[in-house]
Amino acid sequence: MRELPYPTVQKPYGRALLELARRRDDVVCLSGDLTRQCEVDLFRDELPDRFVHAGMAEANMIGMAGAMAREGLNPFVHTFGVFATRRPLDQIVNAVAYPNLPVRLIGFMPGISSPGGPSHQAIEDVALMRALPNMTVIDVADAVEIDQVVPLIADHPGPVYLRLKRGEIPVIFDDDRRLSLDEAHVISSGDDVAIFTNGMLLSASLAAASVLERHGVHAAVVNVPVIKPLDVDTVVGVARAARAVVTAENHTIIGGLGSAVAETLAEAGLGRTLRRVGVRDTFAEGALTSPYLFGRYGLSTQDVIDAAWNALDHSGEPPAAPVAKVEAGEYSPV
Amino acid sequence: MTRFVSPARETATAAPRHDAARVATGIRLRALRMVAPQGFGYLGQALCSAESLAVLYAELFRPGVDRFVCSPGHYIVAAYAVAAEVGLLDPEELSSYGQNGSCLEAIGTERSPAVDLTCGSLAQGLSGGVGFACSDRLRGRAEGPDAPRTFVLCSDGELEEGQLWEAALFAAHHRLGRLVVLLDANNSQVDGPVDGITTLEPIAEKWAAHGWHVADVDGHDLDALRRAYADALSDDRPSVIVARTSTRHGLDCLPPDADGHFIKLPPDLANRAFAELETRYA
Repeated sequence: MRELPYPTVQKPYGRALLELARRRDDVVCLSGDLTRQCEVDLFRDELPDRFVHAGMAEANMIGMAGAMAREGLNPFVHTFGVFATRRPLDQIVNAVAYPNLPVRLIGFMPGISSPGGPSHQAIEDVALMRALPNMTVIDVADAVEIDQVVPLIADHPGPVYLRLKRGEIPVIFDDDRRLSLDEAHVISSGDDVAIFTNGMLLSASLAAASVLERHGVHAAVVNVPVIKPLDVDTVVGVARAARAVVTAENHTIIGGLGSAVAETLAEAGLGRTLRRVGVRDTFAEGALTSPYLFGRYGLSTQDVIDAAWNALDHSGEPPAAPVAKVEAGEYSPV
Repeated sequence: MTRFVSPARETATAAPRHDAARVATGIRLRALRMVAPQGFGYLGQALCSAESLAVLYAELFRPGVDRFVCSPGHYIVAAYAVAAEVGLLDPEELSSYGQNGSCLEAIGTERSPAVDLTCGSLAQGLSGGVGFACSDRLRGRAEGPDAPRTFVLCSDGELEEGQLWEAALFAAHHRLGRLVVLLDANNSQVDGPVDGITTLEPIAEKWAAHGWHVADVDGHDLDALRRAYADALSDDRPSVIVARTSTRHGLDCLPPDADGHFIKLPPDLANRAFAELETRYA
């Protein structure tokens, strides 16, 4: 694990997909008029014969991708998360999920990482995709995971929804990180509170755990990139060893990681106080920057600290998160 | 559920030849047999599309090479019937139509035999057809006499959905010339005549304006359909055959006010229908 502030890289997804497609001629790339934003200008420029520009027509794009998968192709479909999920939901159900086809839906700009307002903020994409039978749902945290998730999902026999941060991507893990689609990743153990997180809230959760540790609270941090199918054994095992549970996700608290963990604990008969950090059943708003929104809508390091403190029923003020100092090209959580 | 994958495309062979007029009657009769036991159902969809599907399957379609997409899943009864009529589906299976546990569901699903793609959520089939045609191009097999053709059955009511026009724009822009839409214009949707709900005319001009080759024909005229298919298959643009049809055609005993989307068949009417069609089919 690297230390804060994290270095960042550009276009790790675009490079990983191109690398995959150089090796596998079944990989085709569809874009819904957000080609550079989804990093697949790299694919378009080198492999134009396997690049399909679908235009601003997501419903048709999903339908075409389903048919391509039936023909033995391996379609990767690119647009922003809102347009990849909520807009063509019925098409995903009928053309992809129900026939259980190997279509890879890549939704950029998850949660409130977009300052573009509710039309562009995919706060419920995980909930929508998690509700669909056959669908695998993934939210990775950094460039190392992105590099590994691309070939992993290319080999998955069914449909996948992968949500990806846009722009500068932090490098949190060392190169020895081995992403698995089957197992959650226990980063640290602790017997006070278990923090389950993924995606853009991983860095905030790690920062929170380190503050908590300095104040005598031992926090386990579990990175859960695959929200569905959930690694139930790891979730239950880590939660059982702790007195309280916190989930932290860049998504509404309804239907995403927090819900998945809650369902799992309840079905296991494991009574643990649970606090869910996420967008609290509200639409967000447009702004100049996404860090402002992460603070305003409760997705900050401080919010994770507060949730753990509260879940453990500790008295007094929770410890304060450090103020992030970030230079150009670096990344720190809010 | 096992995922359906299209079979490897075979070398094209001449389509099996059948008598299209007899196949059309056979579609109506087999559809009647499927629907009558329930006393109601999607018989009108077979009555209107019978000639269009008869010409296609009796004279043009190359099984294992070409694809057939039945976009409105409610028409699947006609797809089952024509497949049985030309030997692509065991006629015995038709008796399970719509029954509990049967693969021959009344609205097409992934389990439906005899089609490459169908969908009960309307107006999604053309996108699938476009995807098939696009796959052929991506795979480098979109040229030459052996190249697959993709036939997509659509209904006029589906033109109310935006997705269909997304697909139409894409197909024309990419000149997917081996894509043929058979547009069954029966002027019937759930709430009544299509033209009383949404003005779709001029349908032919709309497709032409999107860049498609268009034929606008009497969908019960076999020779007109033959000419339309021949023109479609020789044009390098995607083609649409607007087949003007009636959900009561070819079954004279139906009352003039029969609801074409979902025909009611009380036993006495069903008996008269059987008598009429069996006489004609004999």
